[in-house]
Amino acid sequence: MPKRSILHMFDPMPNNSPFDINMALDTGFDVLMPYSNVKLESIHGLTQDAIFSRSPSGIKRTSLFIGGRDMGLAMDMMNAAKQAMFPPFQISVLADPSGAFTTAAALVACVEKQLKEKHNKELKDCKALVFGGTGPVGIATGVIASLAGADTCLVDHMSIDTANDAAKEYNRRCQSTLSGAMAGSDEEKSALIAEAEIIFCTAKAGIQVLSADVLAHAKQLKVAGDVNAVPPAGIAGIGSNDASIALASPVGAIGIGALAIGNIKYKVQHKLLELCLSSEKPVYLDFREAFSEAQKIV
Amino acid sequence: MEKSFILHMLTTAKNLSPFDVNMALDAGWVSAVPYTNVEASEVKDLVQDVIFSRSAKALKRTAIFIGGRDTKQATDMLKTAKNAMFSPFEVSVFADPSGAFTTAAGMVAAVESELDKKFNATLKGKTLLALGGTGPVGQASAVLAAQAGANVRIIGRQLDKAQRIADLCNDEFGEGKINIQAGTNADIADYIKTAEVVFATGAAGIELLNAEHIASAAQLKVAADINAVPPSGIVGLDAFDNGKEIAGNPNGAVGLGALAIGNIKYKTQSQLLKQMIDNDKPVYLHFEHAFEVARQIVKSTK
Repeated sequence: MPKRSILHMFDPMPNNSPFDINMALDTGFDVLMPYSNVKLESIHGLTQDAIFSRSPSGIKRTSLFIGGRDMGLAMDMMNAAKQAMFPPFQISVLADPSGAFTTAAALVACVEKQLKEKHNKELKDCKALVFGGTGPVGIATGVIASLAGADTCLVDHMSIDTANDAAKEYNRRCQSTLSGAMAGSDEEKSALIAEAEIIFCTAKAGIQVLSADVLAHAKQLKVAGDVNAVPPAGIAGIGSNDASIALASPVGAIGIGALAIGNIKYKVQHKLLELCLSSEKPVYLDFREAFSEAQKIV
Repeated sequence: MEKSFILHMLTTAKNLSPFDVNMALDAGWVSAVPYTNVEASEVKDLVQDVIFSRSAKALKRTAIFIGGRDTKQATDMLKTAKNAMFSPFEVSVFADPSGAFTTAAGMVAAVESELDKKFNATLKGKTLLALGGTGPVGQASAVLAAQAGANVRIIGRQLDKAQRIADLCNDEFGEGKINIQAGTNADIADYIKTAEVVFATGAAGIELLNAEHIASAAQLKVAADINAVPPSGIVGLDAFDNGKEIAGNPNGAVGLGALAIGNIKYKTQSQLLKQMIDNDKPVYLHFEHAFEVARQIVKSTK
């Protein structure tokens, strides 16, 4: 009997995300095993327990998934897992905390495509703002956009310190060049978006971050993407099903809605899980691989 | 449709060990269901929920695994589980906290085999030191060796703790039929002169026997070390050693390393997990059953 495929799902939270569980089973993993409240210190031991108990043929059918809500912790856990392994005891690892890596990858890839098609521009030519920029999806979006060359700023709605701290921390971790900003009121938002060519909206679901009036100040806006699927939309005028809608103002700007992005995110996560499942050699997948897969898919 | 094979995996720890999960699934259990942070007082209800939800026929395809980190707790949970069941509502239960029971079984069986091969001897009457012996593997291996007739001394960093563990082994695991002694690390230099067998089951990276100890161990026949991470617990003993002579020992003692022991442990755990699938009657498995299986494995590979 061929060994069954097993996905060990390490999560620092009290529970795994049912989203990830559905995705993993639908990709074809035979068995999922949840591990909750996992601490960074436990990753070394858990990883070694996962690799030392199967033969080399079984090892190929064994993978790790790292979830949680915190991008930095997930990256640290991924490193700890990698360091616990050595040839031939190596298995694939996918990190996607909060689904943030795959959501951010899909968001940036969708925006990149519209930039090229409608404005003949590249990310590296553009100034980008990430509203809700200090949450998991926001930070991952900022890092991916920055590494692709966009002049990217993480925007927090409460505190400039939170935004600057996040930018600094992830610049150090990921070699990105993010900056930070704070915009809470409509006046602050209007001032901040005046020069932005790209707006990513990754704020909490059900909150309108940019009203039509505020958005009219974005004179340079080329493309805006919103991952909020719960009404009201994060950016006025973008419906969640919109894959490429012309915004009323400014003229020429394109909007992309949450379900259009979610559709790509879903395919990206599926593809990454499939790589873990079918790859002959172990693969280590984070936001970087998520973005390159998303680029291929769009 | 035939009922699926379900293994309910209970642990007092926050999570199962992925080692046990892989082993269970590869042994043929179709579903491995985790129950974490389980308290001893909850075992009875959990077990009864297991047995009352399937027919007698389907219960043959159902079993319970008890993990965790503590030997006493796991042994107690095994007893509680057994007592919570009655015919025909019975399922097999296997306790292997920290993998310690199967590791200990693999080590003691391998040592027995080396004694026989190289010295034409058994464990009976042998002076045995269980270094770093207060942990789960140390406890189970000390009990198994004592039951096989060895004069065992558990050595720990603190004498009172070593004594407490020796008492636990004698009273609980040995049911008053064995008499394990206690000692402290400070006296290893003395004890080693008369030791014929040594188990090293201390924490990774701590050297328990140095070159001087090895040179003065004039009676030593077999030394086993379960530590796979260098430095080894016994100087000169490598994780790959499988009956190799230990350099610098005047008595020609041989060494058993972690990988040789691990190989038997792996097969032992796998067979016990399979026993619960194959057996028509429910079985209740702990270190003694692990030892029987490990002995068979060692014999068949000789």
